[in-house]
Amino acid sequence: MTALVAAGVTKRFGGLTALAAVSLDVQPGEVHGLIGPNGSGKTTLLNMLCGYYPVDEGAVRIGEEDLSRASVQRRAAVGIARTFQKPRLLPTQTVLENAMLGGWRDTRTGFLAAAFSMPRVRAEQRELRDRAQAVLEGLGLGYALKHRAQLLDHAESRFLEIGRALVLRPRFVLLDEPAGGLTGAEIERLGIVIRTLRDCGIGVLLVEHHTEFVFGICDRVTTLNLGRMIRHGTPHEVRHDPEVIRVYLGS
Amino acid sequence: MSGTSLRPMAGSVGVLVALATLPWWAGDQYQIHLAALIAAWWILVAGLNLVVGFGGQLSIGHVGLLAIGAYAFAILAGRHEWSPWIALAASGGLGGMCGLLLGLPSLRLPGFYFAMATMAFALIVAELVLALGDLTGGGVGLSVPGFPEPFESPAGHYLLMLGIATMITWCAWNVARFPWGRALVAIRDNPVAAESVGVPVFRMKLAVFVASGVTAGLAGALFASLQSYITPDTFVFELGLFFFVCIIIGGRGSIAGPLAGTAILTALPELVAPLAKLGTLFYGLLLLAVVLLVPEGIGRLFQVILERVRPRETASPVLEPDAARLAAAIRRQERP
Repeated sequence: MTALVAAGVTKRFGGLTALAAVSLDVQPGEVHGLIGPNGSGKTTLLNMLCGYYPVDEGAVRIGEEDLSRASVQRRAAVGIARTFQKPRLLPTQTVLENAMLGGWRDTRTGFLAAAFSMPRVRAEQRELRDRAQAVLEGLGLGYALKHRAQLLDHAESRFLEIGRALVLRPRFVLLDEPAGGLTGAEIERLGIVIRTLRDCGIGVLLVEHHTEFVFGICDRVTTLNLGRMIRHGTPHEVRHDPEVIRVYLGS
Repeated sequence: MSGTSLRPMAGSVGVLVALATLPWWAGDQYQIHLAALIAAWWILVAGLNLVVGFGGQLSIGHVGLLAIGAYAFAILAGRHEWSPWIALAASGGLGGMCGLLLGLPSLRLPGFYFAMATMAFALIVAELVLALGDLTGGGVGLSVPGFPEPFESPAGHYLLMLGIATMITWCAWNVARFPWGRALVAIRDNPVAAESVGVPVFRMKLAVFVASGVTAGLAGALFASLQSYITPDTFVFELGLFFFVCIIIGGRGSIAGPLAGTAILTALPELVAPLAKLGTLFYGLLLLAVVLLVPEGIGRLFQVILERVRPRETASPVLEPDAARLAAAIRRQERP
């Protein structure tokens, strides 16, 4: 089993140390929660796993493969997918097309092959459309395939972003506050989706403020504060840790 | 093929038949010339549209690439008496090569600075054309040969350009509807999301920019032989803005819109011939009207009206994930 590993990663922005030697691993088929107060470095860590920020010290690996210097695109190619705090969709494109974008790395045809509509291009397009549609139907977005993304409500946008990440055929999905702005009922449905990913063997990193949701769904939880890891363990251990209660949960 | 996609296809075929028979029903030679001019501009705009309308890269300097194609054709086919077909291909190739040389350093620049770089390129080409008088004829210009029979007559030349324009339109449409088009729109609307799914942003920008250089070079060669004489005054900087405006008025992310924009803007000064002096005024008014009233372009105007007229679905379906189906969908696409 190959895990996604951050090994002692450090990130500095000028004089500010956003992350200090933080280690974390996400196993396949596990939901790993990442919590902490605002500014504790959660999203910074996620961005370093995805390659948006280079690591100053430490390493990012999948199994034995060192990804510390790999581009964002390369990390997508080895199966790291993500969603964003504020959904980043293509507003003028349809829901189906947005999801199909996730399958970009499976399209092997070049510009000229596309321009002259070679049979291989059409076959790829069909295959991609079929599996994007299947994913969207599984997510409950089957009714919206032809809607333009700018017409979606907030929950639909969040689910569509997860759909796009899934069409990438990911080994790991990093979710940046997926429950943000969702209603209680919608968060329950999000839980169904995340559990399904886990059951399919995908490793999920869940950055989230909604602590009840995190403790309810995660197999392990890591807590950050001021760029340092303060507690790591099962939801039960973390939620009863006095330090976590003091800096984040409150009593 | 579904019924919904048959209708636009039938429409396209109808328009094409009408255009192909134009020499037999046109009122006079001038209308054929005008149609040929629209075809030349559209060949350039079709390529530029992938860069501007889809990729969101604001190039206003394609007139420089057009001039390079035009002069290359005039020099190779005219002075050196190459076969016009080989000279045409060489003009396209040279346009693509210059696109590569221009795109390599400039496509990494953020939007506004990229636009300035393309503008500078157009100005440099204009100066070089004047400075290299031995090659380009300087301010006097060059005469340009036509194509051999059956493309020698105005009607034949028009049909040749229509054929090339049709093929380029088909290629652009293919690029737009396959994953390339989606990735370009992603680069335009959300480059961070594009990267996150693995789209090689710079490489794709460069590829379509080179392609737009090829079409600009071809358009330059065809335009030059249509005019039969070119001077530096033919390739004023405003022409570069004109191509850009065709796309903005037509609408970003569409093929039909910029095609309509090119046709309307090319024909407009001629249609209001009594007001020829005010031709530029009409550009201005049209641009202002589009930007203020339908910023998505005339290509979307029709769709916007439809969306207004058509009643919205009232019952909002509930977002209800189905774990079993989702798991099946994920497992199905698992890598071997």
